[in-house]
Amino acid sequence: ITRWWRQINTVGCCYFQGSRSCRLLTSTVIMLKSKTFVKKTRSGGVLKIVREHYLRDDIWCGSEVCTECKQESTVLQRDTCIESNLCAYPHYLIPDTNVVLHQIDVLEDPVIRNVIILQTVLQEVRHRSAPVYKRIKDIIHEKEKHFYTFTNEHHRETFIEREPGESANDRNDRAIRVAATWYTQHLKTSESAADGLKVVLLTNDQGNKQKAAESGLLVFKCEEYIKSLIANPELVDRLALTNDEKNEITSSKVLFPEHLPLSRIQAGIKSGSFLQGTFRASRDNYLEATVFVPGEGEDSTEVLLQGLQNLNRAVHQDVVAVQLLPRDHWVAPSSVVLQDEGMAKDENPEEEEEEKAVSVKPTGKVVGIIKRNWRPFCGMLNVSQIKESTRHLFTPADRRIPRIRIETRQASTLAGQRIMVAIDGWPKDSRYPNGHFVRSLGGAGEKDTEEEVLLLEHDVPHQAFSQAVLSFLPKMPWAITPEDMKQRQDLRQLTVCSVDPPGCTDIDDALHCRELDNGNLEVGVHIADVSHFIRPGNALDKEAANRGTTVYLCGKRIDMVPELLSSNLCSLRSNVERLAFSCIWEMNHEAEILKTWFTKSIINSKASLTYAEAQMRIDDTTMNDDITKSLRGLNKLAKILKRRRIENGALTLSSLEVRFHIDSETHDPIDLQTKELMETNSMVEEFMLLANISVAQKIYDEFSECALLRKHPAPPPSNYDILIKAAKSKNVAIHTDSAKALADSLDMATVDSFPYFNTLLRILATRCMMQAVYFCSGMDSDFHHYGLASPIYTHFTSPIRRYSDIIVHRLLAVAIGADSTYPDLMDKHKQSALCNNLNYRHKMAQYAQRASVAFHTQLFFKTRGVLNEEGFVLFVRKNAIIVLIPKFGMEGTVFFDSKDKTAPNLVFDEEGPTLTVEQHTFHIFDKVKVTISLDASNIQHQKIRMALIDPVISGVSVPAEDLEPQSKKSKLDR
Amino acid sequence: MATVQVSEAEKVYILHGIRDDLRVDGRGCEDYRHMETETDVVSNTDGSAKVTLGHTAVLVGIKAEIRKPRPMLPDEGYLEFFVDCSANATPEFEGRGGEELGTELSNTLYKVFNNKHSVDLKSLCISAGEHCWVLYVDVLLLQCDGNLYDAISIAIKAALFNTKIPRVHISTDDEGGKEIELSDDPFDCMRLNVENVPCIVTLCKVGHRHVVDATLQEKACSVASLIISVTHKGTVTCLRKVGGGSLDPESIFEMTEAGKRVGKALHTPLMNLLKQEESLGKTRQKVGFLG
Repeated sequence: ITRWWRQINTVGCCYFQGSRSCRLLTSTVIMLKSKTFVKKTRSGGVLKIVREHYLRDDIWCGSEVCTECKQESTVLQRDTCIESNLCAYPHYLIPDTNVVLHQIDVLEDPVIRNVIILQTVLQEVRHRSAPVYKRIKDIIHEKEKHFYTFTNEHHRETFIEREPGESANDRNDRAIRVAATWYTQHLKTSESAADGLKVVLLTNDQGNKQKAAESGLLVFKCEEYIKSLIANPELVDRLALTNDEKNEITSSKVLFPEHLPLSRIQAGIKSGSFLQGTFRASRDNYLEATVFVPGEGEDSTEVLLQGLQNLNRAVHQDVVAVQLLPRDHWVAPSSVVLQDEGMAKDENPEEEEEEKAVSVKPTGKVVGIIKRNWRPFCGMLNVSQIKESTRHLFTPADRRIPRIRIETRQASTLAGQRIMVAIDGWPKDSRYPNGHFVRSLGGAGEKDTEEEVLLLEHDVPHQAFSQAVLSFLPKMPWAITPEDMKQRQDLRQLTVCSVDPPGCTDIDDALHCRELDNGNLEVGVHIADVSHFIRPGNALDKEAANRGTTVYLCGKRIDMVPELLSSNLCSLRSNVERLAFSCIWEMNHEAEILKTWFTKSIINSKASLTYAEAQMRIDDTTMNDDITKSLRGLNKLAKILKRRRIENGALTLSSLEVRFHIDSETHDPIDLQTKELMETNSMVEEFMLLANISVAQKIYDEFSECALLRKHPAPPPSNYDILIKAAKSKNVAIHTDSAKALADSLDMATVDSFPYFNTLLRILATRCMMQAVYFCSGMDSDFHHYGLASPIYTHFTSPIRRYSDIIVHRLLAVAIGADSTYPDLMDKHKQSALCNNLNYRHKMAQYAQRASVAFHTQLFFKTRGVLNEEGFVLFVRKNAIIVLIPKFGMEGTVFFDSKDKTAPNLVFDEEGPTLTVEQHTFHIFDKVKVTISLDASNIQHQKIRMALIDPVISGVSVPAEDLEPQSKKSKLDR
Repeated sequence: MATVQVSEAEKVYILHGIRDDLRVDGRGCEDYRHMETETDVVSNTDGSAKVTLGHTAVLVGIKAEIRKPRPMLPDEGYLEFFVDCSANATPEFEGRGGEELGTELSNTLYKVFNNKHSVDLKSLCISAGEHCWVLYVDVLLLQCDGNLYDAISIAIKAALFNTKIPRVHISTDDEGGKEIELSDDPFDCMRLNVENVPCIVTLCKVGHRHVVDATLQEKACSVASLIISVTHKGTVTCLRKVGGGSLDPESIFEMTEAGKRVGKALHTPLMNLLKQEESLGKTRQKVGFLG
C-alpha cells in the first residue's frame, strides 16, 4: 500500500516554501492546480497519479506587434508576408495536432513561417510520433522559420480542465480553440491592432472546424489553405493525402481484409492466438515476407507470409500481429524471384539460393498493424503513361518497400531525379499505398545525390548539428584552466606520440613508453577526454548518443560530435596541450603487467605520425631520439603481447579493405587498391586492445550491474560447415572446437602451390563469425569475446567516433573518483536501450560504408570501362559462382542462367560444394578470369557486372576481347 | 494516550456540573463540541476527509486497489483499516509510542464495519473470485483532544462518501482470459452508498450520568465509557466498553438508548453537509488539511 500520508508533511512544506520563493523571484501570481489521472499498472492494478500544475501570468504571446507582453525577444514577425487568396490580411497560423502530425513536410517548407505551435499540440505530437516531434522541435529551433511555442497549458487564461464526459481528444481540441481565441482577442486589444494581424486555425477535423467557426475563429482546412497560397503552388505536392481524397483515387473494390483494432490485437497476443513480430519483406519476391517473432533466448521463430491478401498492407519493418494458418495451409518459401511488374533481377543472390529447402515453414497472415515504421523513402518516379496525369507511381530504392502512389504536377522535372516520398496511408481498397512528395535529392547517378541516398537509406543521421547542440560546445579560444589542472595529472613532459592513418584529423589515441628507474617499462595509452566536453544529458550528449558512431564513407566523414571537438579540442594533435584519459601500465620487459592505473591527465603530444612514418623511424637505425626510442619500446612489447594473445587463441581474420585514390579536383576515384598492413598498425592495435581489456575489467569490478561491455559470441558450429568443406577440398583440415583450435588450424592451412589460399580461408572464416555487440553487464551473463579470446572486453579508445567509449569513459571516471555519476548511467535498462541503439547504428554505419565503397567502385569502373581480372571462386551456388577479385578487394557473382536464354546444364553438388557447368566443374578457390564492367541499364540500381572468360565453357564464357558481355549481374560486398 | 492531570477540586466541579446537565464548556450532556468537516483534501487518495472536533483533528484517506477477493467471500470486496498515530498529535506517539493505540482503534473499526449493512461490499466486486476493490482506509491522527472514536467514524463516513473509484470493465477474449480495462475518462467513477455507514458515539460515565464527546478533563473523571456504533436508522452495529471501571446493567441500557438517540441525530446533518459540499463542485473554496 502506498503510504500517502508520509509525504504530507514534506509536500506541505515544499508548497509553502516553493510558492513563497517563486513569488519573490518573479512577482507573478502562480496558481496551483493538480492534474489527476488514473493509470493501469503492469501488474493489473490501478494507480491514481496526481501532478501539480502551475499556472502563471507571465507567458507572453511572442508577437512583434504586441506591446502588452513584457517579452524580451519576439519570434513572430510583424510582417508575415505570405500570399494567400483566402486570407488577404497578415496572419499567424495555429495548426492542430493532426495537421502537425500529417503535414509536417509542408510545415518544414521555408515558405511557411510565423506559426504558433501550442503546447497542447506539441505534447500530443510527442506522445504520438517521436520522429515528427523531433522534426517540429527542429523547426522551432530554426530562427528563420519564426515558429513560436506558446505554453498555453500553463497560461492562466488558456488553461482548461477536462469536463466530465469529455474525451481527452475533445479536451485538447477545446484547449487549442481556447488558445486560438485568446490570441485573436490578444492581438486585437494590443495597441497596434491597426496592422490587422489575425490568427488562422488550421484543422482537418470537421467537428473541430465547425466549433471553431461558431466561436468566431478564422479556421481553414489545411488543404484549403495550402492551395490558397498562390505564390507557391509547389507546396500542394507536399500535402499528405487525407481520408476523403483517398476515396476518389481508388476504386471501391476492397482488395485487403480489414485490420483489427489495437485492443483486439493486444487481447489476441496475450491469449496467444496472434503473434507479434517485425515484418520483413523479401527482397526477391514482392508477394512474400517473413515475420520475425522474438522469443525467449533461442525460441525466436519466423512466420512466413505469402500473397498480397496475407501480407495485408504491411510494409517492411512494421510491427505487426500475425495469425498462424492451419497446419495444412503451411507452405515452403518459394524460390522464385518476383519483382513487382517485372523489374530487373535483384542484386542479392544469396538469399534466393540459400534456402530452397522443401520443408514447410509456419505460415500465417497479417491481421493488424501494431506500429507502422514508415519513414520517408528514397527512390525514383515512374512517370505515368498518361500525359496529363498528376498521379504517378514511385519506386523506392529499397526493394522491400512497395511502390507508392503519389500526386504531383512536377512529374517531368522529377523524372530522372532521386526523390523522397513519405507514405500517408494504405486504404484497404488500394493496390498501392498513398504518399506524397517530400523533396528532391538531385539527379540520379550524381555523386552527392547517391551519397545522400545511401545515408538516408541506412538511417545515418547526417544533418548539420543544430544550434542547440552547438551551444554546448566550449567557447573559443579554449584553454586549459587551473581548475582542469587540479583534478588531472600533468603528463606534459612525457614523450607521447600518436600513430594514425594518413590524413586522420580525429586523433583519439596517443602512446608513450619509457624506462623507469627500476628497469621496468612504463607504457601509457592516452585517450582524448571527450567526456570532459560532453556532459551527460545535454543536447550535445543526446545528439551524440543518437548518432552513436562516426560514419566513414569514401572521401567523407559523418561526425558523431561537432568538428570543433572531433578535429580540434579532442584531437590529440602534436605540440598542443590536450586533456586526456590515460591508462598507464608498469610492465617488465616480458610485457607482463605489474601495475595498472587510470587517471585523467593533460598531455602534450610530441608528434603525430602516420603508420608509415612510425615504421620508418623504427627501422631507421640512425634515429635515436626520444620518440623513436619510445616507439621501439612499444613495438617490442606489442610483438610479445600479440604473440601471447595468439597463443591464447585470438583469431587473426582477414578481410580486404579497399582504398580509393581520389582525384583531388573531381573527387572521382582514379585508382583503387587494397590497404596494406604494417607492423605499426598492429602495434597501435595491440595497446588499444590491452587498454580496452584493462578498462573493461576495472569498470566491471566497480559496476557489475551497469558496465557497458562488448562481447563477441562464439558462432554456432553449423556456421563453420562451409569453411570446413572448402578447406577439405584442398585436403586441409580445419578444427572449430575452440577459437584456439581454429586459429591454429588456420595457421597450418597452407597449400604450397597456392600462396593466396590462406588469405582466402581467413576471408571465409570471417564470414562464419557472429557480430560483436555492446551490452550492459547487468543484463547478460556471457561476456566472452570470441575473436579476441578475452573473457571481457569493451571499447575505451575511440571516444571521438564511438559513443560507447564515452559511456565507458564516464563509468571509469566515476570508478576512479574523477567525475560524478548520474542516474541514467547506473540504470541498466536505460543502458541496455542505449546499447541497442549503438548496435543498430554500428551495423547501419557498416552497411553504409560498404554501400559507399560499392558506389565508388562503380564510379571507378564507369571511368575505366571494361577490365579483365583474375579472381578466386569464394562460394559456389546452385546457379552461380561468387568470385573475389583480390586486386580490388571486391567480389561479384557470375550467373550461369539468365532469363533471355536457355540455361546451360547445371549440376550442383552440395557436399563439395561444386557446380558443374556443362563439362567444367567449379570448386571453391578455383582461379578464374572474369571481365568486369558497369551495368547502368537500371539507373536506380547500377551494378558491377562480371562474366567468365577463363575457363572457357562454350555458350557460357565470353571471349576476352568481347567487351560486351551477356546479361549477367554481380554483387559487391566489400 | 494523552491524559491530563485533574485535581480533586476540579473533579468535583466537573462532576457536579454534569449532574446538573451543565458541562465546563457550557454544553449539555448530549451535546457535541464544534465540529468541522471537509472532504477531498488529499488529492492523491481516492477519497479523503478531514474532521476537527474541538481540538481533535483527524485526516482520513481512502485508497482503492484491485486485489483478489477473500476466498470465503468471492463476490465481495473488503475494507482494510489502519490508524497512524502521528507524533504531530502528541509527543508520546513518537517512535512506536502510538502503535498500541493505533491497533486498538483499527481493531474497533474492523468490528464496527464487520456486518453486511454498513457498506455494500458486493458493489466492490469486479469479477467474482478474481478481482475486487479493496478500500484501504487510512486514518491519520493530527491532534488529540479527546473523543477520537467519534471524530474518526465521522471522518471515515465523509471520506467514503467522497471516494471515487475508477470504473473498470472486464473484457473477455476468445479463450476466456479476462482483462481489466480502465475507462480513460477520469470522471467516470463509481460512488459508494454511505447511507448505512455507522457513526460511533462514545459515552463516558461521569458520576451517575454520562456525557457524549468528553473532553480530556471529563475523561479523567470517568471510570468507564461505552462505544456504540449506530446507523442512521438507529441500528447498533457494535458495542464496546472501555476503561477500567465497571458499569451496572441499568446504566448500560440507559447509555445505549442515549447513544442511539445521539447517533441518529448525528447522521442527518452530516449527510446534508456532505451533499451540500459536493454540490458546490469546483467553486468550493478549499481549506485543506494544513488550513
